[in-house]
Amino acid sequence: MKLQELTIYNFMPYKGEQKIEFPQHETQNVMLLFGDNMRGKTSFLNSIRWGFYGLALGRHSRKIPRTNLVNSIAASEGDWSMSIILKFTHENRQYELRRQLDKKNHVSIPKNDGDFDESIGLKIDNQVITGDLIVNEINQVSPEEVSRFFLFDGELLQEYENLLLEGDAQGEKIKEHIEQTLGVPALVNGRNEFTSLLKDARRIQTRDAKNSSEAKMHAERQRINETQQLTLEKDIDDLEILQRDVQKQIDDIEDQLKNTEAVQKKKHALDVLKGKRETIEDQLAYDADEQRELFRDSWKDVLFKSVEPIVSNLKTKRDSLFNATKTKAVLDSQITALQKSLDTPICPTCTQTIPQLEMNGIEQKIIGLKAEAELSNVNLDDITTINSQIDKLSKIKSSNEGSRICELVSKQMKSNVNIIKIETELDDIEEEIKGYDTDAIMRQREKKDRLSNQLFKLENDIKETKVSLNKLSDEQAHISALISKTSGSEGKSSTIRVNLYQDLESIFKTGIDELRDALKGQVADYASSAFNELTTEKTYTGLEINKNYGLSIIDQTGSVLKERSAGAEQVVALSLIDGLNKTARKTGPIVMDTPLGRLDPKHRSNVLKYLPKMADQVVLLVHEGEIDPSRDLSNFAERIGARYQIERISATESQIVRSN
Amino acid sequence: MNEPDRIGLTPLVAQQLDELLTELNPGSDSKKGKVKLIKFDIYRLAVALGIKDNKTPPALNDKSNSVFRVNELDRDRTLFTVVECLDSCPSDVTIYGYIERLAEQGIKEFYEHFQQRGELPLTEYFLDKS
Repeated sequence: MKLQELTIYNFMPYKGEQKIEFPQHETQNVMLLFGDNMRGKTSFLNSIRWGFYGLALGRHSRKIPRTNLVNSIAASEGDWSMSIILKFTHENRQYELRRQLDKKNHVSIPKNDGDFDESIGLKIDNQVITGDLIVNEINQVSPEEVSRFFLFDGELLQEYENLLLEGDAQGEKIKEHIEQTLGVPALVNGRNEFTSLLKDARRIQTRDAKNSSEAKMHAERQRINETQQLTLEKDIDDLEILQRDVQKQIDDIEDQLKNTEAVQKKKHALDVLKGKRETIEDQLAYDADEQRELFRDSWKDVLFKSVEPIVSNLKTKRDSLFNATKTKAVLDSQITALQKSLDTPICPTCTQTIPQLEMNGIEQKIIGLKAEAELSNVNLDDITTINSQIDKLSKIKSSNEGSRICELVSKQMKSNVNIIKIETELDDIEEEIKGYDTDAIMRQREKKDRLSNQLFKLENDIKETKVSLNKLSDEQAHISALISKTSGSEGKSSTIRVNLYQDLESIFKTGIDELRDALKGQVADYASSAFNELTTEKTYTGLEINKNYGLSIIDQTGSVLKERSAGAEQVVALSLIDGLNKTARKTGPIVMDTPLGRLDPKHRSNVLKYLPKMADQVVLLVHEGEIDPSRDLSNFAERIGARYQIERISATESQIVRSN
Repeated sequence: MNEPDRIGLTPLVAQQLDELLTELNPGSDSKKGKVKLIKFDIYRLAVALGIKDNKTPPALNDKSNSVFRVNELDRDRTLFTVVECLDSCPSDVTIYGYIERLAEQGIKEFYEHFQQRGELPLTEYFLDKS
């Protein structure tokens, strides 16, 4: 079978009509649908499941009620109709399957499944198929029992670890599913049929034996045994009803906790964001204080830049006054010395009288120097005034307040942008977790613990009761054999019937064991082969299967690996799925939801290389944490035939957009 | 000319200064902001920017609100000295009279900017002009 096209209308988060085309190419057979958590990947998987089988599954494989299948926004607008159209080919025939849900005319707001009408239509090569034939035709293409392994929720991979636990209730349930897929129930039902017939035959044999004096005592024992068995069977029935009830309560709580897990994560993210916002706000307040501090003195910074040239001018002026003062002092000193020569005209060196001609020259020089000194005359008050101005202006100091304020303004703008971003995220998260009560979550956890204890006790009680029942059953077979051997019973039709049913039951029992062994061997071979391609540890030699279809890793020494990482668990589980898939059915599409959640990059790379080989068509519903579009796609880029993205419209609405 | 002992603002601009102060300071219920501005801080910045831009503002039309003591506003006469040294004061106006005019005009502009943008364009004041 090969999927061609899916048309979704108002299904879960997908409002209105959305059309998805599946890749048809032989080698480019992988379709990727990217979507974040809670955007609608599992809903996409469910849309296909519902289209085929009228069934959408939530956690614990529980049926999602119809009211939850219709897109809530469309419903709030009064449109309660929802449909899925699947186009696919199978053995060169063209199929168009349409399943539709409509609110019943007399119902205003549907509250339960009965408030809807479900209709189904199928065309094969444009021929309309009618009534009950439709389900038969679908089961010919893809039986519902097998859907678990082609419409596969990777988040359930963890469940497969339970197969390794002997007597685990969940493991038993999965084993049942596996055997159903592999066809074991055909033989099991046959055996059960003969067990039932054998029981009736023994009852008749006991009744006949009452009339025989030889077998009378055995008959009485058999009657008592039968009564005891009936009591124990009733006890087991009651205990199992109770067990199912408790399990359902636990499942319900786990569902709620699973939902609140996401809520709690969101709450944590909310608290982290609030913390970030507070830190930024504190920093903003601190910066605002610093800004005001700088603002106080910013006027000096502004003035400092204005007065810088003035101070420089004043200093130059003061320097020239000082120079003039010095020049005047030198000139005055020269004038005094020359004046002395005029007053005493004798040369101090040779003690001769200075001639008059020379004296006239000195007089002329004194006149010149005095004129020069007059020009260099300085008013000392001017220097004092300039000094005072320089002193006052020099007191204006700058610490670059202006540019520091500018830096703070720029920082403040960035912080405000960050706050806006954070607040947008906060609004989104608050909208998503609106209406959840964290105290109630704690109470639910406690209740779940109590119920788990109760379940454990119930399981033990059931186990013990079944052991007692088996003993009685063995004893019953033994008494029956004794009765058969009595002379009165031999050759009687009731005894012949008992012997016949016993033999037939035994044949079926052996047949079941042989079929199981053969299937398990086949599953183990396929799974081992897949595992060898998927694992990054090449010293592992393969996988070993147990009676529950649990797979253990075998190391190079041939021993079972005791501890397995979460990634190894996932690889083993994927190998099992591949093994079951190949054992159970013909090739067809595989739709896998979140299959790579716990894998490291190397395992992820191996799995991505292997997945396209698992089926003719592989649809992977992944988030970008599993497959990084920028890094991981190179591992199997040549195998990708189509790529889609789930885009968020609102918390309750998404749309699928083709991205290549 | 005798320098005045007190200078101030017109009543309108004095009210604008009060409003600016309220806006620039943290709210009375705020637990985070610790540093608060006073009127002198804004007044002095308005004068300094006026000096820097070599402004020649007109006289105040109402001088009934001269509430700032010159000795407190310009404790070490820095503003006075700068105006004096720059020689930017008109000859018929006292230096503090000129400072008062600069403050009046500057604060008015601050107020207008705040009204238009919801904040003071500090980057323009300091980055472009400094």
